[in-house]
Amino acid sequence: MASASERSYTRRDTVLFLVCLGLSLFGLFSPASWGQGISAGLRETVLWPLVWLQVRAEEGKTSRVRLRAITAQRDSASYLVQGLPSLLAENERLRQLLSLSRRLRTRYVAAEVLHQSQATDGRTLLLSAGSREGVSAFDPVVAPEGLVGVVLNVSDRSSIVMTWAHPEFRVSAFTVTGNAAGVVAPSAGGEGGLEFRGVPYRDSVPVGTLVLSSGLGGVYPKGIPVGTVTGVVREQAGWERVYRVQPAANPGSAAHVLVLIAPEGDLARAFPSDSALQAQRLDSLERLRVADSVAQAARDARVRRTDSLAAIRRDTTRVPPRRVVRPDTSAASPSPAPVSPAPPATAPAPAPAARSPGASPGDTAR
Amino acid sequence: MIPARANRIQLAVVLLLLVALHFYVRPRLWGPRVSPDFLLVGLMLFAMRSGPGVSAVAGFMVGLAADSLTPARFGAGALAHTVVAYVASWARAVFFADNLLVNAAFVAAGVWLRDFLVLAVSGSGDRSVLTELAVYSPLQALSSALFALVVLLAFREWFSIRLDA
Repeated sequence: MASASERSYTRRDTVLFLVCLGLSLFGLFSPASWGQGISAGLRETVLWPLVWLQVRAEEGKTSRVRLRAITAQRDSASYLVQGLPSLLAENERLRQLLSLSRRLRTRYVAAEVLHQSQATDGRTLLLSAGSREGVSAFDPVVAPEGLVGVVLNVSDRSSIVMTWAHPEFRVSAFTVTGNAAGVVAPSAGGEGGLEFRGVPYRDSVPVGTLVLSSGLGGVYPKGIPVGTVTGVVREQAGWERVYRVQPAANPGSAAHVLVLIAPEGDLARAFPSDSALQAQRLDSLERLRVADSVAQAARDARVRRTDSLAAIRRDTTRVPPRRVVRPDTSAASPSPAPVSPAPPATAPAPAPAARSPGASPGDTAR
Repeated sequence: MIPARANRIQLAVVLLLLVALHFYVRPRLWGPRVSPDFLLVGLMLFAMRSGPGVSAVAGFMVGLAADSLTPARFGAGALAHTVVAYVASWARAVFFADNLLVNAAFVAAGVWLRDFLVLAVSGSGDRSVLTELAVYSPLQALSSALFALVVLLAFREWFSIRLDA
């Protein structure tokens, strides 16, 4: 039989367990805003050192990967472009072209995604940017490929994003051709994809059509790629079709995202298609070629000018060799004619009186 | 130094090490879905060496931290970690888990049970839950158990682990 102290020990354990269980259930069934407030408070106080530690780790990881990638790019590029130095500049320009941040015309905040170990990671993401950086609730979150989700909750230095994988995610969307509009939501079957719902039966959307956010509702701006239609999930004859959509961005593997701050207008230009990127690349190459030729011409002109200046300087500073006259020979030989100043330009030409008998008139003129 | 206090300090050192590993090393590892959950390993090691009540409180705090960092459904992580820590503490009393393999098996079971409870309480009953529970959770449980083995081997003197498993 258990002693009194053991019984009280067991009772204390049970009470503690029940209290913790009750608090957990209270958190579970309390309003979402309460939970978000508690989460934000904990993140900003007790958990802040841990979040800071994770931010440093993410930075270290990504910078190491970036360094490795850039080193590899530099090595291969320097090997390949030894004869073509302009390719290196093109590489840099391509990277600039590909960076979404340069294409965005709206304000944004770059943030790192701090992935967690829970199984639900991917439905909600923890970002390293918060209200201190200007992030506020319901700001759209994008990756270079397209829409990731929307900011759900913001604390001072971090924020929570509801991604498209979250069961409550919805975005009003339309096809890039503009012939169908509807609502994109996570697939009902839990296949990890999206569904384009509410498309009228008469509007057929071909496979491969890009689906963009429509801007309706005021949360997501117009023109952010949501995904690509891959087929029909189900249809109700005469009523509507539901299309399967391959998401554009993958929140599970996103390491960096951009939070759009008060976006306005159409953002479709910030997410160009591959063909548009190719056109931009060719255009930049052409501009680079023209710039190179202009620079080469300027260099040539500069070299020629330097050469000609040097030649002129040589001519003007050249001194005629002095004649060496020995004193003993100077008495015997007739003294050289004194150097007379150059005749004035207006001096009359000598008359052709001393012309030799055989000389023709043309010789004097010669 | 009093032995009990020494044990407590040693356990605290290991737990701090695991917390640092979780937040500083884990992000650098491959595959966040399958890499070891150092925090849960620490919680299990603590729970197997503490009373059920204290373990439940520790589990609740770890779960609260998890909920604050990934609030899929606030309270789900707290509930799951509380239950897992409490059960681990009771199970240790039943199974006399002072050898390596039993400790590692506890850790693996704890990871899987935690994931199951979080997913169940989060209210997502779709097909992806099955994938999580059948693929990712067992892999994470395996990697966590292997890491727990390493920790127990490294600190076997502190944890008084039998090596005749």
